[in-house]
Amino acid sequence: MARERPRPVHPYVPELEEQLRTGVVDRRGFLRTVTLLGMSAAAAFAAAARITGEALVPKAHAQAAKKGGNLRISMRVQEMTDPATFDWTEKSNVARQMVEYLFVTGPDNITRPHLCWRWSASDDLRTWTLGLRRGVRWSNGDEFNADDVVYNFTRWLDPRTGSSNQGLFASMVTATDTGKRTRDGTPILSKSMTAGAVEKIDAYTVRLHLNRPELAIPENLYNYPTAIVHRRFEDDGGDLARNPVGTGPFLLKGFAVGEKAVLARRKDYWGDEAHLDSITYIDHGDEAATGLAALASGQVDLVHETAVGQIDVVEAIPHARLYEAVTAQTGVARMQVDKKPFDDVRVRTAVRLCQDHQRLLDLAHRGRGTPAQDHHVAPVHPEYAPMPSPKQDYARARHLLAQAGHAQGLDLSIDCRKDPPWELAVAQAMTEMCKPAGIRLRINVMPNAQYQDIWNKTVFGFTAWTHRPLGVMVLNLAYRSGVPWNETHYSNPEFDRLLDSASGMLDVNERRATMAKLQKILQDDAVIAQPLWRSVFAAGHRKVQGYTLHPTIYHQLNAVWIA
Amino acid sequence: MAGFVLRRLGTMAITMFAVSVLVFLLLEISPGSVATKVLGPYSTDEQRTLWLEAHGYFQPLWVRYGDWLWNFVNGDFGESVRFKVPVSEILWPRLANTAILGLVTFAVMIPVSLVLGVVAGMREGSRLDRAISVTSIVTTSVPEFASAVFLSAVFVFWLDWLPGTSGMAEGFSFRELILPVLVLVIYDMGYVARMTRASMADVMTTPYIRTAILKGLPYGRVIVRHALRNALIAPFTVIMLQINWLLSGVIVVEFFFAYKGFGALLLEASLNQDIFVIEACAMVAVFVAVATQTIADVGYAFLDPKIRFG
Repeated sequence: MARERPRPVHPYVPELEEQLRTGVVDRRGFLRTVTLLGMSAAAAFAAAARITGEALVPKAHAQAAKKGGNLRISMRVQEMTDPATFDWTEKSNVARQMVEYLFVTGPDNITRPHLCWRWSASDDLRTWTLGLRRGVRWSNGDEFNADDVVYNFTRWLDPRTGSSNQGLFASMVTATDTGKRTRDGTPILSKSMTAGAVEKIDAYTVRLHLNRPELAIPENLYNYPTAIVHRRFEDDGGDLARNPVGTGPFLLKGFAVGEKAVLARRKDYWGDEAHLDSITYIDHGDEAATGLAALASGQVDLVHETAVGQIDVVEAIPHARLYEAVTAQTGVARMQVDKKPFDDVRVRTAVRLCQDHQRLLDLAHRGRGTPAQDHHVAPVHPEYAPMPSPKQDYARARHLLAQAGHAQGLDLSIDCRKDPPWELAVAQAMTEMCKPAGIRLRINVMPNAQYQDIWNKTVFGFTAWTHRPLGVMVLNLAYRSGVPWNETHYSNPEFDRLLDSASGMLDVNERRATMAKLQKILQDDAVIAQPLWRSVFAAGHRKVQGYTLHPTIYHQLNAVWIA
Repeated sequence: MAGFVLRRLGTMAITMFAVSVLVFLLLEISPGSVATKVLGPYSTDEQRTLWLEAHGYFQPLWVRYGDWLWNFVNGDFGESVRFKVPVSEILWPRLANTAILGLVTFAVMIPVSLVLGVVAGMREGSRLDRAISVTSIVTTSVPEFASAVFLSAVFVFWLDWLPGTSGMAEGFSFRELILPVLVLVIYDMGYVARMTRASMADVMTTPYIRTAILKGLPYGRVIVRHALRNALIAPFTVIMLQINWLLSGVIVVEFFFAYKGFGALLLEASLNQDIFVIEACAMVAVFVAVATQTIADVGYAFLDPKIRFG
């Protein structure tokens, strides 16, 4: 059988080139979309340079990279049994050095090929063909091939795995009736991979067949639970920490949860060899000041994340450097729409109307970030549709509460994590802002681990959401009916339909028109009260070179070296 | 004497038994939540049921308690949810780390506080006594988290003399022990010094000391041969109780300096609801508490002839 080759250029690419030429899209938007459509990064940059006249390669670094050294990073070292069920970025950061992804989204928000070296999408965005890189070897000597990719997709979409990837790849999932019903008579559905959704074309080519158009397949394939594990992962124990087989540039040499993880450079890595000899993750616990104390006294070279309240401390350490990334990271005071009193949209809207977003940003995050608009699509997302900022409106909030039968006021309790402190600061400011409308908001502060247990169960809670490169990605994860991470239990067929449609639209401008509707629906349904989009920060020693803070604080350390 | 010791050991065993029942009931009364903790929030009902069945959770409560106690006495504390290894693999190294921290703290704190207490108590009301007493009260009233921040600001961020964390990531280091030990010594020293001072001051006013001085014995000899022996009985008990305090009191210090000890383990186990670790830590803490109390009682009775072993 003749092997099918992915088509090199998508028919939409020439039109995009024209849009860049005429200024309809900017350089970043152009690069993002053409690389998504299968153009190699080098060709995309060259095309952009040809059209805009900008330099193809960034200015050369003043110093040449030096090989060797051990990079010590202060970060929680958590268990990392199964990448498919990772629920913390920290887990993926240790694993990320050993196991790799089919695609990689850089700190510039542009997605590039990685284990998948080229790909193409059908015109209707329902068939994606992934050409896999040859010559990639697992650390156990096996060759990486299509069986690995098919195995991972099959595992992610198996309900028994319990992976959040099932929501991410909802376009490859079919719900079947189990015949059972809940107490209120709703049929219980079992979601599993659509038959034939993943097809092995040959040893190095895999084809995905989607139920509906989907734009963000490459971006989704760099979401942190999508690291590719070996095709015998479960047969070999299903525990990455005990059996650390990967294709990545580093090998796990030591691992103790709560203490440290040690990784050493792999000699036979398929890609560019990393500069560092080794990486040591050191766990300094939950105390935020400890990582900076370790940095100040030269015990670590990098601190995973620095809270906004510690910027002054970083600036006071002579040898330290502050990293900042503009992100779509946020926190949402989210309400479960099927539980009292939030089953009444008037109550939810009243909570939303009490917020002064700019003031919440100033009070809780020192103004570093952007005020949000209660719809979970960020201005840094390419398809964000500009909307007027919501205004604080106590008169309307009181009116709605009275209509909902709470004329005497309403007692609410919000669950909130203790750390990071800005989340608690938001909750405290919201408490004050709710008072004039007659909402007596009590804050139930809980340790982070306890909140992790109830984040998707609590009726009213403040949940942090990490950055994702496209707006449709987070809406698919959190607000589509019935997906595992739908913490609000929001279910709106019209919203789902529009989201299906937006997720399959190639044209950013066209998608933006649909996003405007989606944003409006979320605002009107008042599922969340969302105060702000925040910048994230990290701190490091000045001798650390080549490190860029990723908006999701994913550690990409191949190009990092120590001066 | 033997009867007294046996009675104390009997009390100790009963206390341990009562606490073990409480710990078991508090943490394991609801099997469903145990399964959720162990298998994680994404586990299915079917997985939880299988796990509960495999681990005997459908048996009557008293059978489960009996099994749990038997395993516990035999050193099988279960598997940590967070660390994914048997609890004993983590517990003993962590206890050893706290023992090191405690030993170094005691090695510094006991001589310093005893000398300060004795010197202050020798001449009650003197300028030296008042200086030592005021300093002791001040240091004891500053909580560990405040002195930890203060000492860290001075020695780590300002002077850059000492390492800011004590995780021993690159092997054992005495330098990393300095700040945690300093915080503990500063906090505890004042208390022991004050107790020693009070005891010494009491002894110094007794008729036999007055007689010894009036007999014309050298002052140093009066202190060392006559006063100290009696004055140190009360501080002995206090010091024994400090072992118990150290085990739980180090939580703040271990957390702040990321020292991998028992206190930090207990705190993190509680925050992560790692129930088998919490159970083991609670039992160890209770054992240390009742054991030190027993040793203090027996030792006190042995040192002070006024106490009868009746």
